[in-house]
Amino acid sequence: MSVSREEVLRIAQLAELDVEEEALPTLAEQMSRILDYAAQLSAVPANGTVKVFVPGPDAIRFRTDEVTPSGLAFGPEEFAPDFKEGFFVVPKLGQFE
Amino acid sequence: MSDAKAVADRLVKAKRLNALLTPPKELRKSLNTQIAAARPTGVLYGMPVAVKDNICTLEFTTTCGSRILEGYRSPYEATAVAKLKAAGALIAGKTNCDEFAMGSSTEHSAYGRVLHPLDKTRVPGGSSGGSAALVGAGAVPAALGSETGGSVRQPAAFCGIVGIKPTYGRVSRYGLVAFGSSLDQIGVFGRSVHDAARVLSVISGRDPRDSTCEDRDPLRLPTVPESMQGFVVGLPKEYFPPELDPAVRRACERAIRLMRELGAAVREVSLPHTPYAVPTYYVIAPAEASSNLARYDGVRYGPRFKGAADLRSLYRATRGQGFGPEVRRRILVGTYVLSSGYYDAYYRRAQQMRALIAQDFRNAFDRGVDLLFTPTVPTPAFKAGEKLADPIAMYMSDIFTVTANLAGLPAMSLPIGRVKGLPIGGQLIGQAFLEDEMIEAAYALERVVPATDEA
Amino acid sequence: MSPAWETIIGLETHVQLRTRSKMFCGCSTAFGAPPNTQVCPVCLGLPGALPAANGAAIGLAVRGALALGCTVHPKSVFARKNYFYPDLPKGYQISQFDQPLATNGTLSFLSSERGIVNAGVVRLHIEEDAGKSIHDRFPKATAVDLNRSGVPLIEIVGGPDLRSPAEARAYLQTLKQLLEYIGISDCDMEKGSLRVDANVSVRRTGETALNTRTEVKNINSFAFVEKALTVERDRQIALIESGGTVTQQTMLYDSKENSVRPQRSKEESHDYRYFPDPDLPPLVLTPEFVAEQQSELPELPAAKRDRFVASYGLSREHAMVVTATRAVADYFETVAKTSAEHQAAANWVMTETLADAKDHNDELRVSPAALSQIIGLVKGGTLSHQAAKRVFAEVAAKGGDPRSVAESLGVIQVADTNVVSGWVTDVLGAHAPEVGRYKNGETKLMAFFVGQVMRASKGKADPKLAQRVLEEKLAS
Repeated sequence: MSVSREEVLRIAQLAELDVEEEALPTLAEQMSRILDYAAQLSAVPANGTVKVFVPGPDAIRFRTDEVTPSGLAFGPEEFAPDFKEGFFVVPKLGQFE
Repeated sequence: MSDAKAVADRLVKAKRLNALLTPPKELRKSLNTQIAAARPTGVLYGMPVAVKDNICTLEFTTTCGSRILEGYRSPYEATAVAKLKAAGALIAGKTNCDEFAMGSSTEHSAYGRVLHPLDKTRVPGGSSGGSAALVGAGAVPAALGSETGGSVRQPAAFCGIVGIKPTYGRVSRYGLVAFGSSLDQIGVFGRSVHDAARVLSVISGRDPRDSTCEDRDPLRLPTVPESMQGFVVGLPKEYFPPELDPAVRRACERAIRLMRELGAAVREVSLPHTPYAVPTYYVIAPAEASSNLARYDGVRYGPRFKGAADLRSLYRATRGQGFGPEVRRRILVGTYVLSSGYYDAYYRRAQQMRALIAQDFRNAFDRGVDLLFTPTVPTPAFKAGEKLADPIAMYMSDIFTVTANLAGLPAMSLPIGRVKGLPIGGQLIGQAFLEDEMIEAAYALERVVPATDEA
Repeated sequence: MSPAWETIIGLETHVQLRTRSKMFCGCSTAFGAPPNTQVCPVCLGLPGALPAANGAAIGLAVRGALALGCTVHPKSVFARKNYFYPDLPKGYQISQFDQPLATNGTLSFLSSERGIVNAGVVRLHIEEDAGKSIHDRFPKATAVDLNRSGVPLIEIVGGPDLRSPAEARAYLQTLKQLLEYIGISDCDMEKGSLRVDANVSVRRTGETALNTRTEVKNINSFAFVEKALTVERDRQIALIESGGTVTQQTMLYDSKENSVRPQRSKEESHDYRYFPDPDLPPLVLTPEFVAEQQSELPELPAAKRDRFVASYGLSREHAMVVTATRAVADYFETVAKTSAEHQAAANWVMTETLADAKDHNDELRVSPAALSQIIGLVKGGTLSHQAAKRVFAEVAAKGGDPRSVAESLGVIQVADTNVVSGWVTDVLGAHAPEVGRYKNGETKLMAFFVGQVMRASKGKADPKLAQRVLEEKLAS
């Protein structure tokens, strides 16, 4: 199995996802299968000279520097779960501080 | 031109499919308002178009089939939706889908699975299963879906309707909730090639808000051709493997014979990197998704879940309780392949493979092939629950469709027959921005193929 | 600091580009609006919103890169830097990573220790700013304002080429001056349009390898740059001297305590999972576009200083002062040209003009033409230097033509020998003992007599004429 429980936990932490203890073995197993499956890509001779392919325009377009209306049909107070005195409100940072 | 009541009645009648997320009362009310406001000169005046729930609308909530956006009303609408409305179309409610478009069966919705319109024990395909089921059931003539790896063509094939995924950059993605940004395109379902094509024509064209949308005029619809004289149709041999479902093979062979009879030249081609398309896709799409879905953090919108005492627990509670298992799995895989130490082995590798896959197509087209014909899906619609325990088996359902997303090419599915009553889809893959040629061929084939006959 | 130690500093500077709208959406960048009023689907990170790049911001960034002598790459790539923070709406910041806009430039600055130093600029890239988290607004909660979210920035990553906190300050000042000169940013640290983080390490003199460094953050005023880095340098030296080792970490500077403390480390190490942003095609710059930005660049401060030394005969120090900002340099040059009195022009600008500007929001209140006239009046003997300063102050405060102002102030110098003779007679009559002492050889009293004449004339007497008349009368 290519992905350990510890790795699943580390990745879950990076992704800010709670993973329950009992779900860990299945997740590790499924992730391993998916990643092992994806690992067959490395069997193919794609050397460093292969340019990556990105669909869409070849070059970014330059927008004119103009202030435009927000395009919001209603403001954040309508969709925010907690909005006070013009601010989005979130719990204190805790360990983020 | 239809009246609001009739439109709503047809949709409400299809309620048992669980395809529509908009409550009937709200739908009726909105349709009344919309019909009063619709522009009578618009080319789609009065045409009801259902919209997949991952496309932002002002009229209805946009939940992406997820708990994390339960009750979310977008304060702006997608460019495609604005263009539909400007053409006089009616937004006929929001359709159920796999959560954040991740799935091939529409079983991964927080709002319950969608039933196949012809067999309730089966799936309608996914992720745009709600849109496909409604069109398949005759509740609307057309609907918008979205594609990242086949989410329009695969359910179109399962539901016996037409589904078109345009060239990447043909339709603005502004307002389409992102899954895999370099693969995503809004697509169209129709009862017929014409219904699908005319909706596509309306939503296509430039949009300064989407930097990946090409600066091009809207798609011009071709006329229905008398024959397929002059068309060179390629049959990629990798799409007809020995293990292909025999009925699907028979249906394809019949369609190929009919195209020949219409005057098309048919020749075998090879797209040698096809076997790597699914693994490539299942690295790139989750990688992009892991980043695209980072914004669902409970800070600015969406419900706030219990247990958010500090910021980290807000994140974990929101994302832990808000996302379903398939989305979580893909976020984890995507985070993994981008994380330090794995990027080169997975993500960079997949990007290189993507280039090789795109090159395969260019090589085929460079050798004089105009478009490709393949089965859309290796099998007809499968049973609900059949592939839920095995993610890779589910992913293999996309094997013939992901390539067009990886290469950014236009592709479509149209019904070419049935097996035991279940529809089979044939796929046309065209050259970039030559949707008109692909649609022209589809018009010709549609006229002759016995779409509802057993293959 | 003991000469046994050497300090190695590299600065990472974030500079807000002077644009009307944000980097990837049309929201205003104006400072000071009520919270969350300059926001839209894009900078709020709403589902389905997509970025569209501001061409003007790209142009300004290219100008910055050219002014720093960087290689500007014809193709660069926007990348996503992924991390969670409440003021980062999308859960990633659009930045540039392995293919930045520009690399490999230099910034020359004057070090008090080493003279002219050419500090390397490793890279310069474009990115968007995050919003603002306010922790003291509500009890037990953090308030988030996204008005700043998406404001265009460039990050200028300097090499480890600075050798003292004072050099860091000089580097930053020179950088600020350059960026202001070329007009791409306000560089106002108080408004957050210029921010600096510093990488600091120390080593024993003679060592060549770089030791473990720390990153000092939260230096939010110009005045603190030197202080913060001194504190961190001293901390590292003391640590090593007492047998400890420096660990790689982020230190937050506290300006009230003048101390640094380690940022509480997150559980996980930083893993930003950079990858090319699939929403944005490559940033391709045509040679024409780059040339156009080059042509928009004014004469840079260093070149201007050299020219002022050569053309106007100024000392390097004076040239340095009058080129401090582009506005002052242009002002000086106009005065110098119209008055044809180069050194006098420099003296006036360095004293009166800059002092007045300092008290009035950097406004140059006396026009170059008026100052030229004042210089002319002094030279022609119409105004004493003291009177000219009064005229300058009056013109600065109320405007007007300097000669008329001088007249109405009654400070035009009297050069009429008869009138001056009258004042001289009065002064000599009133100071008989001093006249006696002068005649006994105490000639240094001449200055006293001139002063008294000036006093009697209320400053109007032409001092040179007064001295001549005094000499005549005292000799008789």
